[in-house]
Amino acid sequence: MATRTTVPFGPQHPVLPEPVQLRLTYEDEKVVDVVPVIGYGHRGIEKACEIQEYAKNIYICERVCGICSYQHSASVVEVMEKLWPVELTPRIKYLRTIWAEMSRTHSHLLWLGLLADAFGFESMFYQFWRIREKVLDILEMTAGHRVIQSVNIVGGVRRDIDAAQKKIILDTLEVVRKESDSLVKVLANDYTVKARTVGVGVLTKEQAIALGAVGPTLRASGVSEDARLGKYDAYGDLSYEPIVETAGDCYARALVRARELFQAIDLQVEALSKLPEGEIAVKVKGNPPAGNEAITRMEAPRGELFYYAKGNGTRNLERLRIRTPTYANIPTLLVLLPGCQLADVPVNVLSIDPCISCTER
Amino acid sequence: MALMFPTILKNLLGGPATRMYPVQVREPFEKARGHITFNDDKCMLCGVCALRCPAVAIEIDKEKKELTFYPARCIVCEVCVTGCTVNAIDLIYKWRTPFYTKPTEVHQAKGKRARTPT
Repeated sequence: MATRTTVPFGPQHPVLPEPVQLRLTYEDEKVVDVVPVIGYGHRGIEKACEIQEYAKNIYICERVCGICSYQHSASVVEVMEKLWPVELTPRIKYLRTIWAEMSRTHSHLLWLGLLADAFGFESMFYQFWRIREKVLDILEMTAGHRVIQSVNIVGGVRRDIDAAQKKIILDTLEVVRKESDSLVKVLANDYTVKARTVGVGVLTKEQAIALGAVGPTLRASGVSEDARLGKYDAYGDLSYEPIVETAGDCYARALVRARELFQAIDLQVEALSKLPEGEIAVKVKGNPPAGNEAITRMEAPRGELFYYAKGNGTRNLERLRIRTPTYANIPTLLVLLPGCQLADVPVNVLSIDPCISCTER
Repeated sequence: MALMFPTILKNLLGGPATRMYPVQVREPFEKARGHITFNDDKCMLCGVCALRCPAVAIEIDKEKKELTFYPARCIVCEVCVTGCTVNAIDLIYKWRTPFYTKPTEVHQAKGKRARTPT
């Protein structure tokens, strides 16, 4: 008779980027049950946003997550701008799109490195992060900081991209594209990588829709769904199509994110070539009007990010609600993990791109 | 394996991939956010910087005509720099060097219109 043991995976584990506990029940090296326990990173951000005045909420909300920080900053600003509502110039929308895609580039490079680290391929891990340093350099040059770019304000952005910076960005993106291309080819064609990821952690289309998965986890199972199809910011003018794979295993999720990396570079180049002239900030008067509610859905690197805000006439917001993509992707672990071997657990957990500090804001 | 040969050769024959820090230092980008400095001669204690700071890093004392700044709390968001009415705050693009204890900077405001409250 097989014996069952329950082992806690985490909250401290070398392969997890952030603390989450998964109580795994094993039957002789095969996982039969998993219970996720979250709550190790809760900071009470939604309550803090009600206490502070509305203009300072940007600095709180962009620190929800360090990797998808730009999308949180842009979402909180856009949901507050919809309360008045504030009319933005096209240049603001294009600049926000460029920085959002730059943030997506760095996030996917980070994830590709972590995936290589999950099966012990450490040299690929540091090669990917070395390319990522170039993306962080152009973020620092244009927005001011490398990781938490405080560049959005209610009514616009605080910095502009001039012609000299544009040339440096385009040259850097070309170098990033060439170097990532050679590394992604290795990751996609290597025999060991394929042996560890093909057929591992299969999420079928029906399961993905029933569990409410978002982002690349959903698109790798054959569902063509993306918040950028809602054409917010400048995505209506850019040529964007969601990238879809049908296999639903870890290899498909890796391919979706690798292709989105190149698509993000293409979108930045296209947006920079079409950047219109105009003001970078619009004057906003008064407090958020009482009784107005607004929502915004934006595509973070991990999936759809949802913000809701309600004003009450004073300088503080009545309520701010955040629903992050990993919050919707954690239930897929209940389907991915049972049935896999002990050594496949880190690969499966990393393939949904967990950002636990997003989950428990 | 054959795909990695160009990378292997580049790593073997090229120089080190990282800079020889601290002998070689990369010049920071201009307008990168390094740290904040206060100009005592221009400050007139209007208090806009203290009201706007999201990290509560600036305190104004109008009776003693002092501005207290806590660099360890500062997140270098530049809101005080853009909000200062007399341009007394500067953003320096070099990072602050590490410190062992959290410092407190006290500045005596000597600006022209620093007046005592009535």
